[in-house]
Amino acid sequence: MIRYPSSLIFFVILFAGVSLYQIKHFITKKEIELAQIEKNIKSAQSNINILKAELSYLKRPDRIEKIALDKLGLREILPTDIWNLNDLVNATNILSNGENK
Amino acid sequence: MKIFDFFDLDISKQNQSKFRKIKLLICSLLIIIFFTIIGYRTISLASINKSNVSNKVYAGIENETIAKSLRGNIYDRNNKILATTISTFSLNVNPQEILNIDQTIVKLRKIFPQLEEKYLYKKLNTNKKHINLLKEISPREYVNLLNAGIEGLKIETKNKRIYPNNTLASHILGATDIDGNGIAGVEKKFDSLLQGGSDITLSIHCGIQHITRKLLFDQIKKFEAEGGAGIIMNAKNGEVFSIVSLPDYNANNYNSILNENLFNKATKGIYELGSTLKLITAAIAFDSNLINENDVFDVSKPLKISSRIINDFHPLNYAINIPEVIVHSSNIGSAKIAEKFGSSTQLKYLRSLGLLSMLSLEIPELGTPQVLIDKKVLSTMTISYGHGISITPMHLASATATIVNSGVKVNPTLIKGKTEKNNDVIISNKTSLKIKSIMRLVVSNKYGTAKKAEAPGYLIGGKTGTAEKINPSGGYSKKENIVAFTGAFPMNDPEFIITIMIDNPKGQKFSFGHRTAGWVVAPIVKKLVTRVAPILGVNPQLESSSKFSNNLLNYKIRGKNHGANL
Repeated sequence: MIRYPSSLIFFVILFAGVSLYQIKHFITKKEIELAQIEKNIKSAQSNINILKAELSYLKRPDRIEKIALDKLGLREILPTDIWNLNDLVNATNILSNGENK
Repeated sequence: MKIFDFFDLDISKQNQSKFRKIKLLICSLLIIIFFTIIGYRTISLASINKSNVSNKVYAGIENETIAKSLRGNIYDRNNKILATTISTFSLNVNPQEILNIDQTIVKLRKIFPQLEEKYLYKKLNTNKKHINLLKEISPREYVNLLNAGIEGLKIETKNKRIYPNNTLASHILGATDIDGNGIAGVEKKFDSLLQGGSDITLSIHCGIQHITRKLLFDQIKKFEAEGGAGIIMNAKNGEVFSIVSLPDYNANNYNSILNENLFNKATKGIYELGSTLKLITAAIAFDSNLINENDVFDVSKPLKISSRIINDFHPLNYAINIPEVIVHSSNIGSAKIAEKFGSSTQLKYLRSLGLLSMLSLEIPELGTPQVLIDKKVLSTMTISYGHGISITPMHLASATATIVNSGVKVNPTLIKGKTEKNNDVIISNKTSLKIKSIMRLVVSNKYGTAKKAEAPGYLIGGKTGTAEKINPSGGYSKKENIVAFTGAFPMNDPEFIITIMIDNPKGQKFSFGHRTAGWVVAPIVKKLVTRVAPILGVNPQLESSSKFSNNLLNYKIRGKNHGANL
């Protein structure tokens, strides 16, 4: 005759075994998912790198300069194109003093 | 009681119930051990054992396409990519697995029209099991190949280092070999960091690097020169904004480049940079207190020392002071100044300015200066005007920065934000001010040798240098020059250093046959500063309205015919 404690131990072990198998199965599944996600991240990073490299290629200073000069008709900045605000005030004062005289 | 007695039937008859209990106990123990083993095995199989399970899972996935961790990127100071790694595909084929060669060729040519039918037929009609058809295919071609479903094809993924700006900063960036190991430049210096996936941000400014290169390239072409170097760096913290060495190369094709192009003239090549060294001579003269500011030196006659005669390119017929020696670039004056302070003082300052040792810049291609250290008077004299001392243009830029940075040592760096507080004071603030004032006069004064470098509003100052090239067979060449300029802007508070060197320019019609620094290098300085100053945030100043006049000393410079006034 099978005694009550023995059967309990048997079912506990059986339950533990099945549970652990389920957990293992679940973890393995999650690990595959994780590996897949990591692979996707790497793939995305690789694609981002390609896009960044392409952007950098398109933004090459020599290319931008060529477009600015040939297509947009821009020219290089001369010192006379840039004015310091104080110098501008001084120049205005000098001009207005000249007009008053 | 012996254990074997349990199985003896005769004895068991004597006390059967007792034996039964013992037998039951043994059976129970065996069952417990049996269940324990089964339980242990169940747990061990059910538990997460990476070596048994995960690696296989990971390996299966990793092998599919995407490669391991990518080499780190290299950025410029504004986070523009200078070097990056991308995954590329190569197309291989196993001809033994192809069922119908003609059909395969048709399918392949639809995707790769550049592959000729004859070539494919020859490649596929072989007994080999592995043939590389194309070293690189694009992602689009890769997808088309998958859709075409051609048997026997094998697509391999590999990492490729690319430099999107082609020639830009190629000498700084260097290159990697086929296995992805750094073999030159920053790639080599920071190889372990980059291999670990870390990014590096350089102090280089893409735009300024391009402008420096372009202007230098144009001038080299104009004067049919052999090459040149150009440097722009922060005068206060040593951050390098551009280093150009010409001829340069496309870093994407490193392995097919001539050695001559790979040579970094800015940091590796050592040259006699001529009169630019007079700035250092003047600084030593002022700082050592061995010469009075009002001392004058007779430059009316050539100076004969041993068998050597020292001449001036623009002879003057009277005695001149130190600022005039620099502005007129007098070799005789410079030699006489050096004679006064002597060899040991000269070497002490050259050493502290870093002109006798290799720089600590973050690339492996660095040159070691060669200086004639025989302590003879003649050597001291010639070194004073840049002969008998060979340094890299980067050394000159670094020394110029120290001189204009109130005498506080400036160590050049290629890494953005690498701020090493340096308190080494090489020359006094007073000496620095005097040299800055003289440097400005070299450009702004009508007798200055760098008049063509004047860019209105940017208060450029500096010193030109023209030196005969050393003959490989010995002596100096009368036909070949090295021309250079080193300076700073704006001189009332120098923020940036500019150093240019051009190797062997030829006299041109438009330069009236001249091939001196004043004709060859000074014009680039003007163009370069005009273009880069707005990018660097240096606003043009009107000399009348700025603090310029208060910040610099005003030395009087006499011209060619003022001998009688002395």
